[in-house]
Amino acid sequence: MVRTAKSLFVAIALGSLFAGTAVAEEKLAIYPADVNLTSANDFQSFVLQRTLPDGVTLDVTSNAKLSIADPKIAKLEGNIVRPLADGTTELVATEGGATLKIPVYVKGAQAAQPISFKLDVVPALTKAGCNSGSCHGASRGKDGFRLSLFGFDPDGDYDRITRELPGRRLNLAVCEDSLLLQKAAGQVDHTGGDLMDPDGKLYQSVLKWVEMGAPKDSDKVAKPVSIEIMPSRVVLGGPNATQQLVVRAHYSDGTDRDITDLAILMSNNDNSVSVDETGKATSKQRGEAFVLARFDAFAVTNQVLVVPTQPFQPKKESGGNYIDDLITTKLNKLRIEPSEICTDEEFLRRVSIDIVGQMPTPEEYAKFLADKRPDKRKHFVDELLSRKEFAEIWVMNFAEVLQIRSSNQVSPKATLLFFNWLGERIAAGDPLDETFYDLLTSTGGTFRSPGANFYQNERDKLKIAENVAQVFLGMRIQCAQCHNHPFDRWTMDDYYSFASFFSQIGRKPGEDRQENIIFNSGGGEVKHPVGGRVMKPKFLGGETANTAGRDRREVVAEWITSKENPYFATNLANRIWAHYFGRGIVEPVDDVRISNPPSNPELLDALAGKLIEYDYDLKKFVRDICTSNAYQRSSKPNDSNRLDESNFARGNVRRVKAEILLDCISQVTDTEDDFSRLPKGARAITIPDGRTSTYFLTTFGRAKRETVCACESLTDPTLSQALHMLNGDTTNSKIQQGKLVEKMLKEGKKPEEIIESLYVRCLSRKPTEEERKRLGTALAEAKDDAQKRVVLEDIFWALLNSKEFVFNH
Amino acid sequence: MERKIRGTWMDDPAHFRRRSRRDFMYVGLLGGLGLTLPEFLRMEAMAAGTDLAAKGSAPAKSVIHIYLPGGAAQQETFDPKPHAPVEYRGDLKSIETAIPGVRFNQYLPHTAKIANKITVCRGMSHSEAAHERGTSNMFTGYRPSPALEYPCMGSVVSHELGAQKGLPPYVAIPNMPQSAPKNGYLSSAYGPFSVGSDPASNSFKVRDLNLPGGIDDSRFTRRRNLLDAVDAHFTGSKPADNVGAMSSFYEHAYNLVGSVQAREAFNINAEPDAVRDRYGRNQAGQRMLLARRLIEAGTRFVSLTYGGWDMHGRIRDGIARTVPPLDQAFATLILDLEERGLLDSTLVMISSEFGRTPKINKDAGRDHWPKVFSVVLAGGGIRKGCIFGESDAIAAEPDHDSLSVEDLAMTVYNRMGIDASKELMAPGDRPIEIVKDGKVVDELIV
Repeated sequence: MVRTAKSLFVAIALGSLFAGTAVAEEKLAIYPADVNLTSANDFQSFVLQRTLPDGVTLDVTSNAKLSIADPKIAKLEGNIVRPLADGTTELVATEGGATLKIPVYVKGAQAAQPISFKLDVVPALTKAGCNSGSCHGASRGKDGFRLSLFGFDPDGDYDRITRELPGRRLNLAVCEDSLLLQKAAGQVDHTGGDLMDPDGKLYQSVLKWVEMGAPKDSDKVAKPVSIEIMPSRVVLGGPNATQQLVVRAHYSDGTDRDITDLAILMSNNDNSVSVDETGKATSKQRGEAFVLARFDAFAVTNQVLVVPTQPFQPKKESGGNYIDDLITTKLNKLRIEPSEICTDEEFLRRVSIDIVGQMPTPEEYAKFLADKRPDKRKHFVDELLSRKEFAEIWVMNFAEVLQIRSSNQVSPKATLLFFNWLGERIAAGDPLDETFYDLLTSTGGTFRSPGANFYQNERDKLKIAENVAQVFLGMRIQCAQCHNHPFDRWTMDDYYSFASFFSQIGRKPGEDRQENIIFNSGGGEVKHPVGGRVMKPKFLGGETANTAGRDRREVVAEWITSKENPYFATNLANRIWAHYFGRGIVEPVDDVRISNPPSNPELLDALAGKLIEYDYDLKKFVRDICTSNAYQRSSKPNDSNRLDESNFARGNVRRVKAEILLDCISQVTDTEDDFSRLPKGARAITIPDGRTSTYFLTTFGRAKRETVCACESLTDPTLSQALHMLNGDTTNSKIQQGKLVEKMLKEGKKPEEIIESLYVRCLSRKPTEEERKRLGTALAEAKDDAQKRVVLEDIFWALLNSKEFVFNH
Repeated sequence: MERKIRGTWMDDPAHFRRRSRRDFMYVGLLGGLGLTLPEFLRMEAMAAGTDLAAKGSAPAKSVIHIYLPGGAAQQETFDPKPHAPVEYRGDLKSIETAIPGVRFNQYLPHTAKIANKITVCRGMSHSEAAHERGTSNMFTGYRPSPALEYPCMGSVVSHELGAQKGLPPYVAIPNMPQSAPKNGYLSSAYGPFSVGSDPASNSFKVRDLNLPGGIDDSRFTRRRNLLDAVDAHFTGSKPADNVGAMSSFYEHAYNLVGSVQAREAFNINAEPDAVRDRYGRNQAGQRMLLARRLIEAGTRFVSLTYGGWDMHGRIRDGIARTVPPLDQAFATLILDLEERGLLDSTLVMISSEFGRTPKINKDAGRDHWPKVFSVVLAGGGIRKGCIFGESDAIAAEPDHDSLSVEDLAMTVYNRMGIDASKELMAPGDRPIEIVKDGKVVDELIV
């Protein structure tokens, strides 16, 4: 039985109808690529999908002429194949002039497969929702009856159904009177209501099992090993188009089963695609959705796009790099037109704030605009990348997720040393993988080996494992602490096996009372909470590790930072990307999971590949990002990309982060800040301790660094922010302290020139004609020089309060 | 965002809500392509408008929430155990109150006299013994979950009832307690507005509320016009949801700064000295007085904190220091509201994150104890002169009529005319009930 090809398709060459689109030929495909029936009650549904030349797919199953080549072997009921006799035959489908054939293998057609508790009953209870978290799957169960959440502990479920309160739940004499069935069917009072139709498959499975005497599965019962959802690619044209999906599970004994009606199916974006319980996907408004199928401990998704049916002609664009090729491919699929390339002024401001956290100075502004080189943007990016602020911003970003913050466990001195250590590594351009490897394996005093503070800030081994997974792999595994992750692949075994890497961290006080020493204690294990098994260290999604005689942290750090690790480079690439685009390709950046897939997986893979190719050189990598066309898009939307948030078709308007915003205000007003325990004039991005803050920074959402979550740094507006900008000392006092307007007046500049200069300082552009007129009117009302100064200062105040100033766009 | 304390959220009903696509979305996502922020806001707005009709007849128009951070001992406040052995009852005395047979701690003489105007719930009970989790629990009506941040009551009220008369609907005096939840999954528009400094201080001023020195109204108007001129180009050409959200906060700020009446509500110096003295010239007194001014002017929900109640050691001294100002201020607040005809429309609540251990510990203090403690309710459609629920002989567990956080929240919302079984929309198209599985406690309401 060959299962390599997921589908069989024929291509019908029709020539290129729509030049430039990705798919230029029409094809017909049948899913799955083969039918394997292994018992009398086995069956397999299938679908025929036609892909039009413009990429739109149609479900043509009901239009096709269908037959079984040898009707003695199998029969057809609609789009379902059922067995008749052992042997091999073919399913033949003819549609639109094309004919497709797929093999049908039938074995064991004479005997029905007996109902199995694990293979039939538990999936039926799961599908009906009995073991969901709000019902009997809750940790304490519901109304006196408990099941394991989504059936992660079928043996326990068997005991509770058959052995707990003997005689209550099952009635082996009058099977239909089993309380389990009566409750499920709503025949007696049931808080959860009527969940199984007595004529339906779910009820019948459970009933048959009770009729068999409610047997316990033998140890030989096969286990699911994988599931697949088909067709893998669905592009629906316009609203109300449908596509039937097929879900198939593969088992450890080599058999497979059609589980379309047993898997839990859901869409992550009901506004574009909804999916019903029979597996039919229906399109709504344009956009994309991922349909998730969950069965047993497995979850898989397929992407469903909804595109407008009007013809789409993508524009050609010059320049750009590999990033743009991949983004354009995706946008073309979605029929989205990207926004224009932004102006020089917009680019200058955007890239300065992003790379160095500063506004372009008036000198930089004049020089950049006067620069006639066609590749001046690339040159400017290089200039910015060579400044120390580039490294400082990244130190700040990483300090947030590494929780560089003083606390009862970590002294301010250790915090400062930790921050400086990170700062030196990043400023020196050390490869990020090496820096993080060193951090994860840090051993020794928290003063002399400051990376060790990572293990001092958080000392609970489970929490450390969760933090490491979230920071370095971008995934939140905490769900699996208590139950198999319902929307990802992680099981409790995975969780505790991974935590085991951090179970041998020793700690003792150092000579200096404020210093702590982190070392490999060589002992200590993690036990599974169900059954108390000692869990051997095992890589997430990988193999059991050989840690004999070694510091377990070393072993896991090698795995995390190895080039083969599928998560490390993508996570870093995604986090770096998100800083420059205001949004990750996976968003949130620290919530990678099957049910939250990247918006452009090819792009993410390519970026991760580049990061590895560049030997984790941050600078080189950021250069690619900031010189791409995608980064240079105008933030002005067009009709086709207005609704799109996740495909980088236009510039993203982002509130400037608290620290950078304060630095920019100080910069343009020519003033200094005075933070506690830092020299006067230090910039906010260089504050080492998450605990050091000011009213401005706290109000504008600076991360406290109390958790590793990327969600700590906030840019949501509040009333206090608005009041502070209007009436507070950050704007009002700084304008006074900096005396910029006064100085310019003294230099003999005309008010119009001063307005222009303030505009350039704050917004990196000159005022428009309309603005000159409106501001000029206000200025004209001033009677003398003193009043002129006041009006000019008010204009300065207005510029600092403007959305154009506080947002990067 | 997960909190540091771990181990109990597996029991959180919200963590295991019914299986559906909204779980699939997880927190904080706005649904990829399909759901834009304006749409989300519209959905929110629709959700908000569903039961406005019911609100006209609601008894409580506003809430003053007096929060005692740290965990106030039930034994040394509203639930003394004079007959328990000394190691349980402590060495403070109890006094009679206006309700025959009901006793309060000796430091609550003023409140004892008005006991017939308030309701004490002596069976408040939950199971979160850490400060931040207990606080979260009491402020939101939900056990904290690592998967979703719930909005606190004030934010829900703000969301449901909105602002009036230019005042922020939800004000915190002086700030929200540490680690207290704020707007949660609701937009930051519904977060508390913190006055930022202590009204008991001579230099009390609401941060950034008043125009800075040298800026008069006409100059502020000019500034506004200039800002409009500068903003027009950008907001016109780059419509973005987050820019619009910030603009709406500026509008709100203009209303607040521009309304003399609204600004005056924060001006505690406008109160006659006699009134200020009557409340007590201390943190408890002036905070409650400011709260009264604010609800009088139109604020819907005031959350104020008073004292440090985490008395692990020498509780006797802590109580002697902390309770008298609370006693004077609270009794005055109730009487003052009554005299002004505001008591029936103002729900006053005293709560804390938990109570304290039945037995005095080795440091002559008491430790955290969420199993049973007391909550005081008054006014706003709450019964008068009622003791609801009892703790057992040593104040260790509820004896009867225990009160859950869900039921308490449900009852408060009910008095405000908010049906708390209603679902609000969390990001990612997740409808979440305001309170899950709570019921209105009939014995508490009139």
